[in-house]
Amino acid sequence: MRHVTPLGNQGMYILDTAAWRVVRPVMDKNRCVNCGICLSLCPVGSIYAEGKQILISYDYCKGCGLCAAECPKQAITMEAEVK
Amino acid sequence: MSEVKALTGNKCAALGAALCRPDLSAAYPITPQSSVVEQLADMVYSGELDARMVQVESEHSAMSVVQGAAAAGGRVFTATSAQGLALMFEPYFRMSTLRLPMVMAIATREMTSPETIWSGQQDAMSVREAGWIQCFCETNQEILDMILQGYMLTEDPRVLIPVNVCYDGFYSSHLVERVEIPSQAEADAFLPPYSLPAKLDPRTPQALDPMTPGELLMKYRRDHLESMRAALAVIDEVDAKFAAAFGRSYGGCVESYRMEGADLAIVTLGSACGAARDLVDELRAAGVRLGLVKLRFTRPFPAERVKEALAGVKGFAVVDRSVSFGWDAGPMYVETCAALGESLAGKAHFSAIGGLGGADISMAHLRETALRLAGLAAPGRAETLWLMD
Amino acid sequence: MSYIDTIKKLPQVMTPGSSACQGCGGELITRRVMQLAGNNSVFAVPPGCMAGAGVDGWSYQNGCTAPIHITLLDNTASFLSGVSEMYQRKGRGDVNIVAIAGDGATADCGFQSLSGAAERGAKMLYVCYDNEGYMNTGFQRSSTTSLGSRTSTTPAGSAINGKEQNAKYLPLIMSMHNIEYCATASPSHMMDMVGKIKRGLECSKRGFAYLHIFSPCPTGWSFRPDESIDVARRAVRSNIFPLWECERGRYYLSFDNREPITVREFVKSIGKFASLGEAELNALQASTDSRWALIKRLCER
Repeated sequence: MRHVTPLGNQGMYILDTAAWRVVRPVMDKNRCVNCGICLSLCPVGSIYAEGKQILISYDYCKGCGLCAAECPKQAITMEAEVK
Repeated sequence: MSEVKALTGNKCAALGAALCRPDLSAAYPITPQSSVVEQLADMVYSGELDARMVQVESEHSAMSVVQGAAAAGGRVFTATSAQGLALMFEPYFRMSTLRLPMVMAIATREMTSPETIWSGQQDAMSVREAGWIQCFCETNQEILDMILQGYMLTEDPRVLIPVNVCYDGFYSSHLVERVEIPSQAEADAFLPPYSLPAKLDPRTPQALDPMTPGELLMKYRRDHLESMRAALAVIDEVDAKFAAAFGRSYGGCVESYRMEGADLAIVTLGSACGAARDLVDELRAAGVRLGLVKLRFTRPFPAERVKEALAGVKGFAVVDRSVSFGWDAGPMYVETCAALGESLAGKAHFSAIGGLGGADISMAHLRETALRLAGLAAPGRAETLWLMD
Repeated sequence: MSYIDTIKKLPQVMTPGSSACQGCGGELITRRVMQLAGNNSVFAVPPGCMAGAGVDGWSYQNGCTAPIHITLLDNTASFLSGVSEMYQRKGRGDVNIVAIAGDGATADCGFQSLSGAAERGAKMLYVCYDNEGYMNTGFQRSSTTSLGSRTSTTPAGSAINGKEQNAKYLPLIMSMHNIEYCATASPSHMMDMVGKIKRGLECSKRGFAYLHIFSPCPTGWSFRPDESIDVARRAVRSNIFPLWECERGRYYLSFDNREPITVREFVKSIGKFASLGEAELNALQASTDSRWALIKRLCER
């Protein structure tokens, strides 16, 4: 077969987008009500659910800050990335 | 059992396509091709042919729809001419470079401007660097037969290059000849069902044509060129298989007519070969040792076969029904010279251009060409001859 | 199940690490459409931001877990027509046939093929993420760029200030093709958007379904990435981007905007509108109002 990349041939095209981040979202679980709005709006799909808990993964988060801006409970703050 | 009928070239293309049991056909009307799709539509709408028919809004979409269906694992067909071919160039180039097999009929027509709807091979010749296999037919029987052979050729795993079956607009597309039509059972025995895997299928998820860096692209291009070369042998194999099944052989990439002991040769393609044969007979009877070399495939260009066919001649003329801008010649003349390489030296030769925009290539034109050739004293290129009254 | 539960449960189809810009509306839309369509789909993503971001894959790597093809900029709908016909023929109409294309590939050079496929009722879901310009090639003007917008081919000059024409309102044109389903959506109204993607997928089994989704672009439009959703919300609330749907000729308002904000409130903080003066803003307000009035009338029972 030509011009085709079968799935798993060399895996997925995944960039290390976490390296772009200059600020990181930090979730205050005391304020978070696990509504999932941040999860539904994250462009990168970096926010996930574990049971009822909503959690942030930093693997690919680009640090856009949409989750913090849209959180109805102001439970997420963007903090400077320290490397 | 075969059935014998009097048919136009377009009807032959449609019947040939139908005998190959296509999954889908998409086309847009354009003179002189339109009756190909009309007849396919008739067969689909009457229930005679079990195929999908997509009536698109342009040739660009015609080629795109068949491309999608081919990528999803279907045997597909379309047909076009001139401006339609030009409009579909973008997906046309991509069809061959995606290595998706298919057969497309081209009822060749002159390119505008000046405004014209009549015959000429400028359309097919203009896209000969788009990676397709191109064959040119002389008779209506050959059109039907080459559609059947085309599918066997394009789907061969050594080839996987789409095939154009070209024939002269009006001269072949609209004129009636005696044609033997194979039965469906005979066609089925010759051409196996489509068996190539679909490239776009959720059961085998893959990216078709991801962004490709130059190194990889070059590998694909080299593969494509190698498959073109491999196709030369497959064309002969398919011709032999077809002869075994139907008793008709066309000689593969090149046919030589009365080239035994020939001093002079006319090289041409398409419907002009009919008149050329008559002229060869006439001049042979008059003692002129003339033969005909019929170019059946222009892509891949059968360089070795052409060189072989012309090995013994002192002079040849190539009659083109199109022009190569910048060479003051017809394109097949230029390519024939290139194929001959060093063996070109010592031969007298020239390009003859005729039959543009529906003009005739008459016996008188071909006689003029042959007699001029016979009168050339010195080897080398003589001026281009325009076959005009 | 709530729309958020749906999103939580369905696996991602698109690569987690794409090169889309921070706060990209297109990435969010693409991710959501792919997730809801799932792996039993054939996707076509023509050249544009999402192709550039790697959704179609790169050399030997895949940009998603489903079969995908980068169509030509101008043949996405016709290519998918062929794919769709073949899946019908194979008796596998369950496979979702989905296009995700930008506004250039949809409203400009892809429009003929789109209109043809819609007229034929080709069975597919066609999603346009409208970021109002050719963002992947550096934000040039498209036919959906809004009046007064600064782009790299309609700069804010002293002789001519931004785009001189109104945006072509494609969703209404598409609904006039008598298609099975046509709707507008915005990521700011995610519940509505998720519902429309699902409805679009259902309707694509019977005919042509079209979704026109507002896609805020921080890089091209010049606003902060964390404002993307707010910009989209303001577009809906100012009637710059009304939300409606049309099924078999009946129009429904999805968001009855009883107290609209002004266009001036929409354009604040968006750099591409920064040089607009009073007259231009008034013109934009007037065209926005007249379109809203038309949509309202269409949706009246």
